[in-house]
Amino acid sequence: MTYFFPATFSLPLLYYTLVMTTPTDRDLILRACRGDADSAEAFGELVTRYQTSVFNVCYRILHERGEAEDLAQEVFIRAYDRIHTFDIEREFGPWIRRVAANLCLNHLESQKVTTELDDERDADHAQLPEAAQEVRERSEQIRKALVSLPINYRLVIELRHYQELTYDEIAVELNIPLSDVKSHLFRARKVLAEKLHASD
Amino acid sequence: MHLTNDQLNEYLDKATHERAQIESHLDSCDECAARLSTLQNLFAELDSLPELELTRDLAARFTPRPSLPAQLPKFLTLTVSLQAAVALTAIIIAMPFIVQLIPVLEISSLSNVFIQLQTQWTTWLDMLSQVQFPTLPTFTFEISSIYLMSALVGVFMLWLVGNGLLLRNQIK
Repeated sequence: MTYFFPATFSLPLLYYTLVMTTPTDRDLILRACRGDADSAEAFGELVTRYQTSVFNVCYRILHERGEAEDLAQEVFIRAYDRIHTFDIEREFGPWIRRVAANLCLNHLESQKVTTELDDERDADHAQLPEAAQEVRERSEQIRKALVSLPINYRLVIELRHYQELTYDEIAVELNIPLSDVKSHLFRARKVLAEKLHASD
Repeated sequence: MHLTNDQLNEYLDKATHERAQIESHLDSCDECAARLSTLQNLFAELDSLPELELTRDLAARFTPRPSLPAQLPKFLTLTVSLQAAVALTAIIIAMPFIVQLIPVLEISSLSNVFIQLQTQWTTWLDMLSQVQFPTLPTFTFEISSIYLMSALVGVFMLWLVGNGLLLRNQIK
């Protein structure tokens, strides 16, 4: 009986505290749609939740930190402007990441960017332990291999591997035939494997 | 006949209906198994890419800045200034009367004040040590654990509902 009471009371209390006091994405979207003084704050909370993942989508595709952060900001500004058209039944996280990928694609196509490698990441290499440095160097090789791919290849890798879309979903998202999705994806992987294998 | 590149990719993407045939072939063909392993390594390497942190907070743009306290209306500012002036004049006029009314204070030395405080403190401690606590009443009946549990559950539910009502607006 002594141990029964705390267990009985603490679990509902914990559930109540976590569930009732933390608004869901859906709650925040509904608040953001109202268009009143509270809506910007609610959307700001959504940004806090997803800004890192959105930034990483942009960074994997663009491979330039400043540009990736600017574009991630642009993604959220555009999303906020169109939040009232958002289908509340969809999940916000996957949706905003797809928006980010598409915006990066448009950006690259319009700018015809020849991506410069970002040297900022290498600044602190000397201070890292050996194991961490090896991991970081390998990550850098993967990022360099990714950014060396043609834009379309990069996009299908992003959508398949990091956003876990199916072939059909990628075809819809990029508005290309299923056969193109497969050929882009398989060729991209072949090129990546060759580049990473060659750098070993 | 070896597996094609497409078959291996679709197998790893779980996008094929030929899983059983492919697995059967992989069991018997070292070359295809090695190709699959290379592809699996690539998948693992792509998955291992760590997420980087932002150098700035993108949410800051959407967080409303704290607004400055609203300035008082002009007529209210004037009223406050007038009140302050009247109060100051009243104090200056009343000062001679106040000085006459207040008895002359004896300013004792700091050590005397300290000794008085210490004496007072000791007195309080003595009083406290002599306090006799009343004996608590004993229950003449036995409280069943069921009643106790029901009471606690009732209190908890009341607390839960009360907080729910209080937080209702915040949740919205």
